Amino acid sequence: MAEIYSPSSENEVVDFIKNSNSLQFPIEISGNNSKPIGRLIQCSKSLQFKNFSGIVEYLPEELYIKVKSGTSLALIEAELDKKNQELAFEPSDMGFLYSGKSNKGSVGGAVSCNLSGSRRFRAGALRDHILGFCGVNGKGEIIKSGGTVVKNVTGYDVSKLITGSYGTLVALTEIVLKVQPKNEESQTLLINNINLKMALNIFSKAMHTSVEISGACFYPAKVSKFFKLNDLDTNTSITAIRLEGPKISVTERVNILKKLFHEYKKTISVLENYQSRIFWQNTTDLQFFNNSKNVVVKIVLPPLNTDQLMNNFENEELKYVVDWAGNLIWIELAENDSVLLKHLRTEILKLSGHMTIIKAPNHVRIREDFLTTVDENIKVLSLKIKESFDPKKILNPGKMYSGI
Amino acid sequence: MTALAMPKIDQLVLDDKEKIVRDLKKYTNSINIISDPDGITPYETDAFTAYRKKPMVVVLPENTTEVSDILKYCYKNNIKVVPRGSGTGLSGGALPLADCVLLGLSKFNQILEIDFENRCVVTQPGVTNLSLTKAVEHKGFYYAPDPSSQITCSIGGNIAENSGGVHSLKYGTTTNNVLGVEVVLMDGTIVRFGGKKLESEGYDLLGLITGSEGLLGVVTEVTVKILKKPQSVKALLLGFQSIEDTGQCVSEIISGGIIPAGMEIMDKPLLKATDDYAKAGYPRDVEAILIVELDGTESEVNILIKKVEEIAKKNNSSYLRISKNDEERLRFWLGRKAAFPAIGDLSPDYLCMDGTIPRKKLAEVLKEITKLSIKHNLRVANCFHAGDGNLHPLIMFDSNNKSEFKRAEKFGTDILKYCVKVGGVLTGEHGVGIEKRDLMCEMFNNEDIQQQLNIKKAFDEKSLLNPGKVYPILHRCAEGGKMHIHKGETKFKDIPRF
Repeated sequence: MAEIYSPSSENEVVDFIKNSNSLQFPIEISGNNSKPIGRLIQCSKSLQFKNFSGIVEYLPEELYIKVKSGTSLALIEAELDKKNQELAFEPSDMGFLYSGKSNKGSVGGAVSCNLSGSRRFRAGALRDHILGFCGVNGKGEIIKSGGTVVKNVTGYDVSKLITGSYGTLVALTEIVLKVQPKNEESQTLLINNINLKMALNIFSKAMHTSVEISGACFYPAKVSKFFKLNDLDTNTSITAIRLEGPKISVTERVNILKKLFHEYKKTISVLENYQSRIFWQNTTDLQFFNNSKNVVVKIVLPPLNTDQLMNNFENEELKYVVDWAGNLIWIELAENDSVLLKHLRTEILKLSGHMTIIKAPNHVRIREDFLTTVDENIKVLSLKIKESFDPKKILNPGKMYSGI
Repeated sequence: MTALAMPKIDQLVLDDKEKIVRDLKKYTNSINIISDPDGITPYETDAFTAYRKKPMVVVLPENTTEVSDILKYCYKNNIKVVPRGSGTGLSGGALPLADCVLLGLSKFNQILEIDFENRCVVTQPGVTNLSLTKAVEHKGFYYAPDPSSQITCSIGGNIAENSGGVHSLKYGTTTNNVLGVEVVLMDGTIVRFGGKKLESEGYDLLGLITGSEGLLGVVTEVTVKILKKPQSVKALLLGFQSIEDTGQCVSEIISGGIIPAGMEIMDKPLLKATDDYAKAGYPRDVEAILIVELDGTESEVNILIKKVEEIAKKNNSSYLRISKNDEERLRFWLGRKAAFPAIGDLSPDYLCMDGTIPRKKLAEVLKEITKLSIKHNLRVANCFHAGDGNLHPLIMFDSNNKSEFKRAEKFGTDILKYCVKVGGVLTGEHGVGIEKRDLMCEMFNNEDIQQQLNIKKAFDEKSLLNPGKVYPILHRCAEGGKMHIHKGETKFKDIPRF
């Protein structure tokens, strides 16, 4: 069991890391320890940020919020909600996947994992919404980058490098995120009982219009059953397209799409505002794999290749959901099926995609590679970058790749 | 010209010039190598023309293999390399060094693939920004970032500078619209970051290389996402009797939950100059004008126009016009887009500054700029991307008068320091280059800068790729400012410096 250290000030973080650096003690860093993600690493010391929390500055008219890294995402969202604002990348509540109940975790953890919700293809990922950060590198030096303004090219964009680095470069202490006004209305156009290929064609057609869809997902029949919404037929597959904005505009756009897809008119329905919001919250929070005991992987690939990948695995009867207008597939696999996992990885690479293991039992996390990257040049470069922040490799060593 | 410390010239390299030119012919067609004094002159500067230096040799490779071979050769022989796109950069990022190979990407001018199904375009980096939109607009698509130099600036240069444009509040800058790049590192290694998919795994190297000003690698291929054009676009032209009211109107539009596609302010000197130049029909009896552009579906735009109208009236707008058609909307923009030539008509030279400030600080910063204008005895006109807080003061001077140029530089420095003081940054979209290099210590301390230099080393451990740009050289932050160099010698040689 690792010794847990929960600092309450930046100086304490500095002292802790400086000390660990001089003794060459590896440290496992986590925010609130809500997401057991990445390669399984064993450190005698664990640095957690549950005591390092609070909103430093929130200026709604300047569209940013500055927070300490241990601040819970739920608190941030509640604060933004008071001013009718939100984080447009829709942070996922991974608590449902990991423990069967809500646990949004800390903002530092979210930034470190760069996980974004269903609006990602329209609004960008978390990495597109980070304006600046402050953190402590592996030598115990406080470093910062970025600022509080959206347009900033002063020096390298280190904020993006830090986002999705799984705590291997710095221990984050402060984060500045861009915020956006909330949409007045959300409605979802549903088409029941069509296959994935047809759904992907629908997404593509919708994306070739000016209606600006902000959600597009596909649930096969055997996965859609988890929904508990009055106006949702969960006996068949569900193809869903979200529209957001001023109410009059959303209604107008829903009607445009209804006309565009009139050939499906018998199976088209619309989820109104309240249920529409729940539908996408459930999707973003991966509630379809609630408390899964299996292996859950995230696959990102060019949308045109999605159908081909799933076709290749038609006989496997995989449990999957497609999101981000065809750019993202979530798949659940049996924990002992390493042959299938390997096969999947090979096919994904052939189709210019990548696969990340998001949840797996510990023995699988030890056995399998967390990421798919096979490019040796990228690995070499990544190692040099890691060493530029953390020369003794004490921050989350091996969390992303072996040796990094 | 103010003395500018640049990396020490490598005399051994210069002495070897003839051999180097001969060797380079092994890696590309000899017509792609320019070494005669007349031929290299066009490459002595970019659009930051205050500083000029002729490179040792110019090479214009035609494909990625050639770029890789040339870089490998330069790496092996310790020859500095300065990459260059279209040369439209405003901060001197492509300023050559006397002992460098200037690597021009102008022959990488082909769009390689238009993929409407995956909603992206794969292109060579020398293709101009506007060409991308031209290539896809027949199907109603466009490429969102639209820097004002979009007719001539290259997409590779856009990657280097993370270029924005007037629509970046709603649609983001280059970094939010690029999906992948092929990059050649200084040692000749070819790598790919991203691709046609929305994101990659591992470190966000695509995010890091975007805006790195040609210091980390040479981009040889770019994949960008394309968007469907909005159904309807309308604009309001608003006039105000005070900058305070104009700034307050902007704040209330944003806090009212509206994200306009574009929002631009011009102060009185600039609106007068641009209206004289472009006959845009701006009101002349106001202190500032604000153009607000809204896009979306027809009904959405109409709702938003009404909301903005109400906010403008509440904030004492003395002039208000809503575009009735696209022609009128484009006329609103006519003057704004002619800002630079209009100032060129008023003054033989001008410096275009590029700070970003919190929107609510606009009135305070403009007042300070007026004070500084009196202090430095130079005229200034201001335009402001109000949506994203990006301020472009245009400082007018005459380069034939040496003291005026020095004063103009000092004036610009004072403005940028003030931008940082109020919580802003040194550069919003033009890049640091050599122009703002020695001001980096206003924003970053030694540790911050050393960390960024260490990142540079991870990509280019010999510091051969575009050295002397972005990060201060020869002095530590604590010393600040430019350093006087006498006969190329520095004091206290043993102190570690950057």
